[in-house]
Amino acid sequence: MKFLKHNIKIQWVLLLGLLVGMMGCQIQEEPFPNGPALEDISQNATLGDLNNVVAGMEAGMRNRLGTYGDDVGVVGREWYRFSGSDPRFTSDLLGKGSAVLDNNTFYVTNPYYERYRVVRNGHILLTAVDNTSADITDEEKNGFRGFARTIMAYQLLLNLNLMGNNGIRADVADPDNLGPFLDYSGSLTAIKALLDEAASELDNSGAAFAFVLSSGFAGFDDPASFRQFNRAIAARVALYQADYTTAATDLAASFYDPAAALSDGVFHIFSATGGDALNPLFFAPGATGEQRVAHPSYVADAEAGDIRLDKVLIRADTAFQDDLSSNYDVYVFQTNTSSIPIIRNEELVLIDAELKARAGDPGGAVTSIDIVRTAAGLAGYTGGTSETELIDEVLNQRRYSLYGEGHRWVDMRRTGRLGQLPIDRPGDDVWEEFPRPANEN
Amino acid sequence: MQRQLTRLTLTLLTLLGMSTYALAQFTAKGKVVDEDGAPLPAATIQLKNTAIGTFTDSDGNFSLEVPGSEGVLVVRFTGYREQEVEVSSSNPSVGVNMEVADNRMDDVVISGLASSVKRSNAASSVAAISSRQLAGVTNQQTMDGALYGKFKGANITANSGAPGGGISVKLRGITSINANSQPLYIVDGVYMDNSAIASGIDFVSNASGGGSATNQDNPSNRIADIDPEDIETIEILKGASAASIYGSRAAAGVVIITTKRGAPGRTNISYNTSLGFAQMLNPKGQRTFDAQKVEASFGASEVPIYESAVAAGLLNDYEDELFGETGFLQTHRLSFRGGNDRTSFFVGGTLKAEDGIVKNTGYSKESFRVNLDHKATGWLDLSFNSNYIHSSSDRGFFNNDNSGTTMGISLIVTPPWAQLLPDANGNYPDNPYGAANPLQTRDLITNNEEVSRVISGVTAKARLYSAEQSALRFVLNAGLDHYNLATTALFPRTLQFQSNGNGTNGASIQGSTVNTNSNVSGFLVHNYYPSNTNLSFTTQAGALLLNFDQNTIRNTATQLIGSQTNLDQSGSVAVLQNRVMQQDIGYYVQEEVNYADQLIGTVGIRADKSSNNGDANQLYYYPKASLAWNVHSMFDLTSDVLSSVKLRVAYGQSGNFANFGAKYTTLGNTLIGGNAGSLINGLRGNDMVAPERQAELETGFDIALLDNKVSLDFTVYRKNVTGLLLNAQVPGSSGFGSQVTNAADLQNQGMEIGLQVNAFNGDKFQWTSGANFWLNRSLVTRLDVEAFNVGAFGATLATFRIEEGQPATQIVGIGPSELDEDGDGLIVWGNSEPDFQIAFPNTLNFNDFQLSFLVHWKQGGDNINLTTLLTDIFGTSPDYDATTLDPDGQQVNGDYRLAALGVTAEPWVEDASYVRLREIGLFYTIRQDKLESISRDYIRSIRVGFSAYNLINIFDYSSYDPEVSNFGANGISTGVEVLPFPSARRINFHLGVNF
Repeated sequence: MKFLKHNIKIQWVLLLGLLVGMMGCQIQEEPFPNGPALEDISQNATLGDLNNVVAGMEAGMRNRLGTYGDDVGVVGREWYRFSGSDPRFTSDLLGKGSAVLDNNTFYVTNPYYERYRVVRNGHILLTAVDNTSADITDEEKNGFRGFARTIMAYQLLLNLNLMGNNGIRADVADPDNLGPFLDYSGSLTAIKALLDEAASELDNSGAAFAFVLSSGFAGFDDPASFRQFNRAIAARVALYQADYTTAATDLAASFYDPAAALSDGVFHIFSATGGDALNPLFFAPGATGEQRVAHPSYVADAEAGDIRLDKVLIRADTAFQDDLSSNYDVYVFQTNTSSIPIIRNEELVLIDAELKARAGDPGGAVTSIDIVRTAAGLAGYTGGTSETELIDEVLNQRRYSLYGEGHRWVDMRRTGRLGQLPIDRPGDDVWEEFPRPANEN
Repeated sequence: MQRQLTRLTLTLLTLLGMSTYALAQFTAKGKVVDEDGAPLPAATIQLKNTAIGTFTDSDGNFSLEVPGSEGVLVVRFTGYREQEVEVSSSNPSVGVNMEVADNRMDDVVISGLASSVKRSNAASSVAAISSRQLAGVTNQQTMDGALYGKFKGANITANSGAPGGGISVKLRGITSINANSQPLYIVDGVYMDNSAIASGIDFVSNASGGGSATNQDNPSNRIADIDPEDIETIEILKGASAASIYGSRAAAGVVIITTKRGAPGRTNISYNTSLGFAQMLNPKGQRTFDAQKVEASFGASEVPIYESAVAAGLLNDYEDELFGETGFLQTHRLSFRGGNDRTSFFVGGTLKAEDGIVKNTGYSKESFRVNLDHKATGWLDLSFNSNYIHSSSDRGFFNNDNSGTTMGISLIVTPPWAQLLPDANGNYPDNPYGAANPLQTRDLITNNEEVSRVISGVTAKARLYSAEQSALRFVLNAGLDHYNLATTALFPRTLQFQSNGNGTNGASIQGSTVNTNSNVSGFLVHNYYPSNTNLSFTTQAGALLLNFDQNTIRNTATQLIGSQTNLDQSGSVAVLQNRVMQQDIGYYVQEEVNYADQLIGTVGIRADKSSNNGDANQLYYYPKASLAWNVHSMFDLTSDVLSSVKLRVAYGQSGNFANFGAKYTTLGNTLIGGNAGSLINGLRGNDMVAPERQAELETGFDIALLDNKVSLDFTVYRKNVTGLLLNAQVPGSSGFGSQVTNAADLQNQGMEIGLQVNAFNGDKFQWTSGANFWLNRSLVTRLDVEAFNVGAFGATLATFRIEEGQPATQIVGIGPSELDEDGDGLIVWGNSEPDFQIAFPNTLNFNDFQLSFLVHWKQGGDNINLTTLLTDIFGTSPDYDATTLDPDGQQVNGDYRLAALGVTAEPWVEDASYVRLREIGLFYTIRQDKLESISRDYIRSIRVGFSAYNLINIFDYSSYDPEVSNFGANGISTGVEVLPFPSARRINFHLGVNF
């Protein structure tokens, strides 16, 4: 018996030895296979990595642009968004009956998040540029910074357009310690400051960027010309701030050119290439099911002969949904690869008109208005030239010139005219702003 | 190393043998036979309370050296009741007549990674069902679909009626919000992959375009590949108290499948065929229109079109057109089972072909299995399992979309006066009411999943040494699960939504997934029977190595050339690749102490590390302990009334990994104008991520009465999940959508009661009946982040919400502020957890007739049903004009519900209770004696019968079927409905011949 117990002990020792041997097995940690890790880029980026982050920002600016467009386009009564699969475009967005905007639904959360996602990429770029040991000059680094801050500011501006008086967070550098929400004017101030900082970085960026932009930035792809784009956005922001003096200064430093084509500007581009994106604001004319149909007032209110009525296209049948109907499709974007403007010379000409009207220069204002009217096939402006009348006319021209580019609702709001937007069904509402997304509270 | 160990132990064994040789002994001999007197080869003979044992030979004979002058032999044979016989030196020869087990107490259930115990000694409520219960009543399409109502504690939901499966199995409540919530499936020791891999139809449906990024492609889950006819038993370890042995993969429970094996004796050949049909379970019908309703819902311009269609008799029933097919079902199966005392085999093959209730949908499967067992030497047993499966399912194009193109949405936007039938040349008219003509879509698209899969495993059991009072075994197990999945989604450019500027001029989406899981484990099992005690000790220790490797490549080709579908016949191709690679290493030690089958205690601990954890080489420990107390045998309480009483308590912990890659924050790929880019992904990683940990305590009792005619089991459990893996929403302004955290705790409590009654057991008539009752309640007990909504489509249309102090499955939505008690703007409108479920299995035998049926009642549990919302918006709801909803009786239902849109989410939260006759089968067996005149003795028996699946369904749910999930199986958002593939009722006729 003694022997037996002894043997059992030996077995236990063996068993334990086996276990301990196996405990020593180590697991090899493999790099994540499905994409670059953030740490690698922010700590040790190559020039190629930095270029990729730039291209990622440019590409990301297009995400959910369709939803953003529908938000401002439908609330601003530019079009109806009929959908076979989502009722909220005609209920929530138009305030049907007692329906209100929800703070946790795709129409607000998705575009809001995507804009901040690009802002996050901008911060990643700023950090990566600071830490990189790649062989690039300080001027080239400033080029990256100027690009990043300009794009970040533009993205913040789009979110502020949605949020209105709810404001935005401007300081989001540290995802664990987000800055406070600023009120509307504070938000604009922060955006303006970011643009100004970018402008001075672009001043010190040498003659060329160390990165490549898409053809959407054709003519605006070196530090000097990109700065003109930066100033154009700055002029828009200053106009929203009602800081007309600064707006005029910025406009002068922008690519504003009354003699140039009104369509000149900076664009989001699209392509059918695999992996690229298609224009999310395009639906085929005459489409059934998913539709963007022009608000009837766009055609009804137009002056006879306005070429800009080519931005809508008459349908063979009447589109009808939820007690709303229209005979016209939105036809601003004519193919699924049409570019979507970020800012165009036409807007700058109308900013010039507005600034001159507000600065007591009715003659200058009418000159600028008439550039746009002439291009639209209309006779020169013959109405009154009081400031109010001129502002009315500028807003009217903005309505038709910038149709489908996300301005109508913002313009009516900043000039206190939301009450003038049409109500189509009893009980519908015109919203002043979108609610702050639920996860921000 | 292993060889050395073996040699060393053998040496020890020899020495040991010498030390005990001198004692007195005699040779016991005997023969083991079945009820008919036929010999049972390979039955196990063990001297009670010792490690001494042997097997019967091919004639059922055995001989065993018994030390001392007397002893008790324990005789075991699978499927038969365990027998004890006394032998002594004066009476060494015995005959053993084995009786077929009619009492589940004789089953063996798993108790450790390399051991099992008699059910009567088990300390957990381990559920087990046999092949007859699983697939014996009716023809099952998939294995997981065959589990309904058969397991207490399992909440099983089909995602849709699409052929090929797609089923969610949740054991004892929801166990995870964002990580895996489906059980681990192990087939004959092989870790099975149960992925549901999207086919990429989202590219066309744009279902995630609204922002619900969760997979809405409605793929099948891969456990559906297993042929239910191959299965001998299924055991389910429902919670950590039993599943702890599987460590960090077991938090959602473990389903252990054992396939059929050969048996010594005459080779049994059986051929079975089932022919049947499937029909739509619950057509909704359509709205009856008149001119006034047409004008209100479709505009005045539609009225003349409607009236002319009425005049011409051209009103169509498109629901019947789309879902009205009768699907033909056929299954053919041939199996061989046999062997001798050393080698046995099972060979089975199945051919299955089923058509769906929608034209051009269906499911086919070919499965072939070989299982071999071989006793190589006196000390080494080998077994080998191999299964090849090929399956193909055509699943149609359903569920949520944001492009109006799925068949479901294009169906409900279409009024009866639309004319969508093709002309004589097969050209389909465009649907003026929607983005797609559903009949054209049905006839022209392809959405196919095709799988080729090999599952293979080997087990070697070596009795390293064996002596009177101790024995040591080594169990080596290796398994491989390898498959190729090809997904093919074709949308030709002739489709309404792919032509004339719509869509992308066709899309050919082809995916390929290669998945390889492999697992190796080695265990030492030591049995020790101290002399002169009634104690026995079983010790086991071992290690496991698990590898998981999955690589999915999906190409989306658009701008197709003509009617071509090859990826290169296109103007544009986008590629997606996703790889999942994970390695786990686990260790396990367990000690089991048995005192005279009266008290059985077990303690064990599992340690796991994984490449998926923040620190890949940190070990996580999962302990367990359990005690079973057979009160009746300890106090000798057995009487005519009381057969047995067992009290049991079990505690254990298990884990659940974060999803692959959760520890990394990564950038995704973008492309703009030829410039490739990197954009931060929405999910912020967490390099400290740890597995979520579940601790479960369960206790209960088993009572058998009246000579085991009535048995009752009762179990209560509480399981706490700590460090729940949450993709917690973070402020969008951070640039992230969510972050991986271990930021919450969750509790599930529940009760399970089983009753089995052998109600009548006569010569000609037998009746067994029973009831399984279970319920579960969940509660979020800690939440370190803000309460957040998850799943579904936002608060306007009702959504789930994770909130401290509330059930994890609560459904909330907007609503009147007077009902909003906590001021968060949300009202609780429901809960997806059922109040309770109860199932009633019954089997009646009368002479050679057998009738079996299973009634399954699920009470409560709410769905978010958006089908009704969409049909209301398009004015096609069948009940649009009824006035059953408005308390004032003023508004018709359609208007009433629409008026609620944006005001309250209440109308879309619906009770999803049901009572179903899940399975019913009536069979008649013609036995050999009646067949002799025609077949001599070739044919042993013929079985004919008819059966039905979901024959009777009672529910008050307003859509096709309360069992539905737009978002697939995982996570919390099951029970959301958006125009699914409707479910079917299946009826089969059977013929089986045994040779």
